[in-house]
Order: sequence, then C-alpha cells, then structure tokens
Amino acid sequence: MRIPLERKVLNENDRIAAGLRERFRGRGVFCLNLISSPGSGKTSLLERTLEGFDKSRRVAVLTGDIQTDNDARRLARFGFPVRQITTGGACHLDASMVDRALTDIAGDYQILFLENVGNLVCPTSYDLGEDARAVVLSVTEGEDKPLKYPATFHHADLMVLNKIDLLPYVPFQMELARENARRVQPEIEIVDVSCTTGEGLDRWRAWLEAQL
Amino acid sequence: MSIAASVLDAVRAETALRPGARAVRAGLRIGELSGVEPDSLRFCLEALVAGSDLEPLAFELELRPWKRRCLDCRAEFRVVDFNPSCPVCGSASTEAAGGDEMEFSYLEVEEP
Repeated sequence: MRIPLERKVLNENDRIAAGLRERFRGRGVFCLNLISSPGSGKTSLLERTLEGFDKSRRVAVLTGDIQTDNDARRLARFGFPVRQITTGGACHLDASMVDRALTDIAGDYQILFLENVGNLVCPTSYDLGEDARAVVLSVTEGEDKPLKYPATFHHADLMVLNKIDLLPYVPFQMELARENARRVQPEIEIVDVSCTTGEGLDRWRAWLEAQL
Repeated sequence: MSIAASVLDAVRAETALRPGARAVRAGLRIGELSGVEPDSLRFCLEALVAGSDLEPLAFELELRPWKRRCLDCRAEFRVVDFNPSCPVCGSASTEAAGGDEMEFSYLEVEEP
C-alpha cells in the first residue's frame, strides 16, 4: 500500500526553527545565520563587529564548531554573551542545538549572531529560525564558489566578500564573483570588507543596522 | 548523514502508526537547490539501512529542477547554465519558483 506523505524531510528541525523565529519576532530580536567555508573569516568578522559595538548594545553570539571552544574564547573578549556549540561531529548547526544553547544566555538581546560550522553544504538545509543569512566568501577562494555551491548562495540575503586587503596578491576577480553570486541569487546584497584593515566594515555595519 | 537519519526516523514514525506494517519503499523529492547531493544521500540512506530493522527498505529519489518564474510574462522556466533571466521574453525580473525541495512524497508499506 502506498501512503502519500506530503511533508518535509527536516520537518522536526523546521518545527523547532519556526518556534525560535516566533520567539525572536516576539522579542524584537534580529537573528543572522553566518555561513562560509572554514577559514573565510566568520569569526574575524564577528570580532570586528563586536569590537565596534557600544557596550550598551544588546548582542549575543552562538558559535558552532565540530570541536574546541576557541572561537567562543576569541569572541568573549568583547564582553557580550557568547556560547560555543560543539557539535561533536555534525558539520552544521540545527535548530535544536540553537534552542538548547539559548537557554544558557541570560538577559535580553536585540541582535543574535549564529556562526555556523565552516561548511558550504550542510548548513544550507537547516533553518535555525534566523531572519537573514549571510555567506562569507574570501578572495583567497575561487570566484566560482557561488556556482559550485548554488544552494548556499541561493538562500543567502547577503554575501560578504572578505579579505579584500589580499587582492593585490591573488588572482581573484571581484566582479566575476559578484556576477556569479547574482546569477544564483539575483537579489543578493554584497559588501566587500577586510577584517584586517577594517576597509568596508562600515558598509557591513550599515547593512546590519538596516535589518534591525 | 544526519539528513538520512531524519529520513529513517520519519519512516519509523510513520510505520509505527500502522501496527504490523513494514516499510518497503520511501519516495523522496530532492531539489537541485536543496543542498543535498542525491547520490550522497542515497549512499547514506543505504548505509544506515543495511543491517538495521528497516532492511530491505528501498528508496526512490525524484530530482526536482531549479525553477524561476518571470515577473513580466509569468512563464515558469528551468534555470539552465545558472541563467536567471526569462528564456521566453528575456526579462531579468524573475523570482524563485522551486528547486529547494527536500520532501517525502510517499511511503510504501506491506501490511499483514
């Protein structure tokens, strides 16, 4: 007997994510899911972002890694609540991990950053209840990453092109990278930054503030 | 692998609603933009089923194309070679119209 089953494979994750999203909306929280390959600069971008925030800002960070709490240590220096999610093997965050980790963050926050595990494939499929997704691509990678990982870029609202201070030393073509991202996601917004020199971070901050 | 595990959890849950039933085949729809590579998913599914209580459960993976819809002429079209423009009228104003499916379509069970 064939039973029709019209449901999503990840409907349990989606259910938890919908609950998170409702909670965020109710409290006026803007939640951003940051996705990239390992080493593209998600943690550096968050370091520079937290460093630039006034201490009165209500900001929290959950950072995911397969092992170690190195990123949480790096980010905790700025005085905002940071929790490490160590996935113990899983190559992505899921909504239940976020839900559990949030019980550890006391108080109220207006911005919640979710730093996903460095991976351009699996995090794409898991809704974390976020309001927006940003994908970080660094100029030491290929311009064709949006075409190689179309699902990730297709679901992103923003592409952060990072490490632009290295452009004189690498053959990366910025315009081609932007064009590739727009072929996969015509509405994607793009900001160019260097977390090392600080160039372009004002545009990233402006994008962020516009989401609140 | 965790997606494959979610598939098997759902198969078990659905089968448990029918006492004595045994799942023999699960149908899945996987979109080109789902982030899931169908061959890898099949590999993981088969690896998890082998030697488990679900053996010999089989899978049918239906691949769904990446589609967009033209906001000017309303044509729905398959995105070829990453080109988001409408192939009918040439308009660049188009919106997403499918390809991120990761869904069950059916479960085939044998009942006693």
